[in-house]
Amino acid sequence: MASSVTTQEIVVRPPGLQLLINGQIHQLDIGSSVPPTTTLASLLREHLDLTGLKIPCDQGACGACTVIMDGKAVLSCMVLAVEAQGHEILTIEGLPSDDCVVKAFAEQSEPGYGTALQCGFCTPGFVMTARALLDRVPSPTLSEIKEALSGNICRCGCYAGIAQAVRHASEIMAKATPS
Amino acid sequence: MKPAYTPRVQRNYVGQYRPRIDGIEKASGRAKYAGDLMVKCRVPGLLYAKVLRSPFPHARIRSLDVSQAVQLPGVVDVLTFEDPDVASLKSTNAGWTDGVDTLSYERMMWRRFRDRRVLGSHARWVGDEVGAVVAAESEEIAEEALRLIKVDWELLPFVLDPVDAMAPGAPVLHPELADTNVLPEDTVGGADVFVDKGDVTQGLADADVVLHATTTYHNATQNSLDNWNCLIEWNRDHFTVWSNSYEAHQTRMHISEMLDVPLNSVRVVSPYVGGQFGRGDTGDQPFFLFTALLAKRTGRPVWFRHSRRDSFHDGRQHVSYTGTIGAKTDGTITALSFNSIGNVGAYADHSMFAIKFAPVEATEVAFAHIPNVRFEGRGVYTNKMPACMMRGVGNSQLNLILGRLVDGLAEALNADPLDIACKNFGHQWEELPDKSLVTVLKTGAARISWNEKRHPAGEGPLIDGVKRRGVGFSFHPGWHAEWQEVRRGEVHVTMTVNADCSVTLDAPTVETGTGSNTCNVLGCAEALNFLGISGGDVHWISTVDTDVSPQDCVQTDSSVSFLQSEVMAAASKEIKAKLLERIAPLLDATPPELDIDAGFVYRKDAAGGRRSVKELLYQANLDPITVSLSRRPLGTRTGIPFIATFAEVEVDAETGQVLVLRLVVVNDCGTVMYASGAEAQQIGGQCIALGESLTEEIIYDERTGFPLNFNWIDYQIPTMADMPEIDPVLLEVWRGEGEYGACGIGEGTVTCTPRAVLNAIYNAIGVRIDSIPVKPETVLKALGKTI
Repeated sequence: MASSVTTQEIVVRPPGLQLLINGQIHQLDIGSSVPPTTTLASLLREHLDLTGLKIPCDQGACGACTVIMDGKAVLSCMVLAVEAQGHEILTIEGLPSDDCVVKAFAEQSEPGYGTALQCGFCTPGFVMTARALLDRVPSPTLSEIKEALSGNICRCGCYAGIAQAVRHASEIMAKATPS
Repeated sequence: MKPAYTPRVQRNYVGQYRPRIDGIEKASGRAKYAGDLMVKCRVPGLLYAKVLRSPFPHARIRSLDVSQAVQLPGVVDVLTFEDPDVASLKSTNAGWTDGVDTLSYERMMWRRFRDRRVLGSHARWVGDEVGAVVAAESEEIAEEALRLIKVDWELLPFVLDPVDAMAPGAPVLHPELADTNVLPEDTVGGADVFVDKGDVTQGLADADVVLHATTTYHNATQNSLDNWNCLIEWNRDHFTVWSNSYEAHQTRMHISEMLDVPLNSVRVVSPYVGGQFGRGDTGDQPFFLFTALLAKRTGRPVWFRHSRRDSFHDGRQHVSYTGTIGAKTDGTITALSFNSIGNVGAYADHSMFAIKFAPVEATEVAFAHIPNVRFEGRGVYTNKMPACMMRGVGNSQLNLILGRLVDGLAEALNADPLDIACKNFGHQWEELPDKSLVTVLKTGAARISWNEKRHPAGEGPLIDGVKRRGVGFSFHPGWHAEWQEVRRGEVHVTMTVNADCSVTLDAPTVETGTGSNTCNVLGCAEALNFLGISGGDVHWISTVDTDVSPQDCVQTDSSVSFLQSEVMAAASKEIKAKLLERIAPLLDATPPELDIDAGFVYRKDAAGGRRSVKELLYQANLDPITVSLSRRPLGTRTGIPFIATFAEVEVDAETGQVLVLRLVVVNDCGTVMYASGAEAQQIGGQCIALGESLTEEIIYDERTGFPLNFNWIDYQIPTMADMPEIDPVLLEVWRGEGEYGACGIGEGTVTCTPRAVLNAIYNAIGVRIDSIPVKPETVLKALGKTI
């Protein structure tokens, strides 16, 4: 196949890149200001100042760049910005200010489990991964939590506190939702 | 609910289980780290610096041709080792950091090993910064420019093993300093035989049992997630430096002294830092200097950052120990002798801290009742990544041999290793047995069910036909009591009570995640408890800015958790005196006639009832009341508290897999400053400790000297799925000097775990493994199986 793109599609599609991020459409100029090799992670941080996500490894190994794309947790350092067109992107900045996962991570201090964060650098990635898990599985078991969050690295080692925070967030959700 | 610790003294704020003060800021993604302030859309005109790194383990640059790189569109400046701006800079090393006190060039540590050049021409490991640095409009352009630099390399023979490096004829890494790779003696570490108490030869001759062992601690790395970076601007003869460095004032001193500019023309700003673990405590800091030079030369802000691969620049020092222990049949140790060889890598950094300083401290506080003790140690240069100051520096390596000797001795004497430990170890200011050690070990043993689970080595029940379980422990002296921090110089705190009784706290410390910020807020609320305030009324200034902040309390030694709170306790008395001075005229009284409690002023003679401090302050001068206090740490030698880890493992003899089932981490803290934070350190430390025990190791290709796993796919950090159940146990038995008499615990939480795991493996399978990490093939080999 020489080309699968029709003339009509080229005409209809507006120039540049349009991304739906946190409910807002952003128009970006691919080529001059944003090279086509730009990852979604880099674009969100460097061009849109959405600096909650972090890029410690830039190779999909640590989960700190996690955002939610069409309801699924994805590693934004492994997605090209141009691939994100047509998808709905949610970053940590797009969560409601009273989000129960954020609240549970911030407040974990139950004896025996430590806090759910220390340096906090990995935390937005964990929060977004946990958010996607709870949206899918509102009352996860400990092994489901471990499996879902095992792509995220917390070098401060707050894994026990994080697991508690996810459980607490799940409890908050259950209370808020009448059975 | 798991059990909470029981405080020795009930206080209002200090010691609480409560959320971190930065919890919401960090969990919501709003906390700003240095890298977040440097994004393209925030900094107009930003340039990106990239440095040339050696692709060879040992080589010299004969010449560089940068002509093509300079012509690449988007390249703004190229600085090489031949440029006078660079060539004129002094040699440097790691001595700028971890002096804790501010150090000048002349007073820096390790003056005999000023072994680093800024952009030198002699490359000593794969990844060494040499030759040239480029500033360009984007990182991609800077990287492309580096590829266009033509380097004429002279390849030199290299050496990776420290024993090989000591042999005659080995390639010498630093011929400008010495004609051998063995580090020379220095003023901090001392001679090669740096502890020689009593007569070890006689002590061993007097022993009924003598035991030898050899242990090897590999080279892990810190792996802070927040890769080290700096953004430097030059404006009106001033440098402004934003960085995720862990010590702001010392970074200012470094730049000022190396670039020969006045201290007040360098401003260093450090907001939150995403993890430290010793990462920044290295001589690998010339990037501050060449980034500053590029900012000055181009007149534009310049950003330098380490990629994940570049972040493998420092780590745990690879140390091999041989140890000998002699004892009487009743378990009394007559002699302890150690000999170590540390592979320091390409640059000495703080090697002598690991090899000599830490063992000297341990000898003083834990081996005080053993009559004959000898330590001999050497640091040796090789063409590997430099490595030294990782969390638990020196103590982790020492514990691996110490715990081996105690466990082996107990077995030889058919005794319980807990009893051997309690019978022999303690500090000189207390009679044996040491109360702290006894309580730590008794508590840990109870929590892991030691008496029920411990069995003769290899004789536990067989599970599924191939698996066996075992328990083990290891203990160590703590090392962050206040008297051990005297070398810091003064600790500074500024407390401001505003007219509405809210408090602004400037307890300058770069917050790297340790939770010392929350400790400080609790310490402040405790000290000003008479104002009737809570932690929520205290605002802690989270950014250290050398233009406005007092000298920052360097975030090291885990002791910021209490050092500034001790100063606050003293400063609060001055605050109260100033408040009374202001309020007294309004009540027609003199300050001595009044006192304050729970936010109310009252006459000591009980006349006239109580008046609200806040209400009275609003009637008086509305200026804030500020007290700044600087004080040296208290120096009374009070000994130290002990720490221990107990481990239960399951070993699969068929696959070689070691599964750690449970860890009990016990810390005597003196005083727990912030319970949730302390438990987070105990639990959190196990990510590093278990990683070092089972998976984490830098692997080199022996043939080429090339490191093979400078990434997080091949270098494996434990995730949530890999971690066992961890039981954090906080105790308050020992007590130091001062209001709280606390001791830093965070660093040492990693120290005892590897040996506890190794002893548990021995208890499970009856075969000794004495080097880490213990990978499945290690177990299978130890069991005599072919792989």
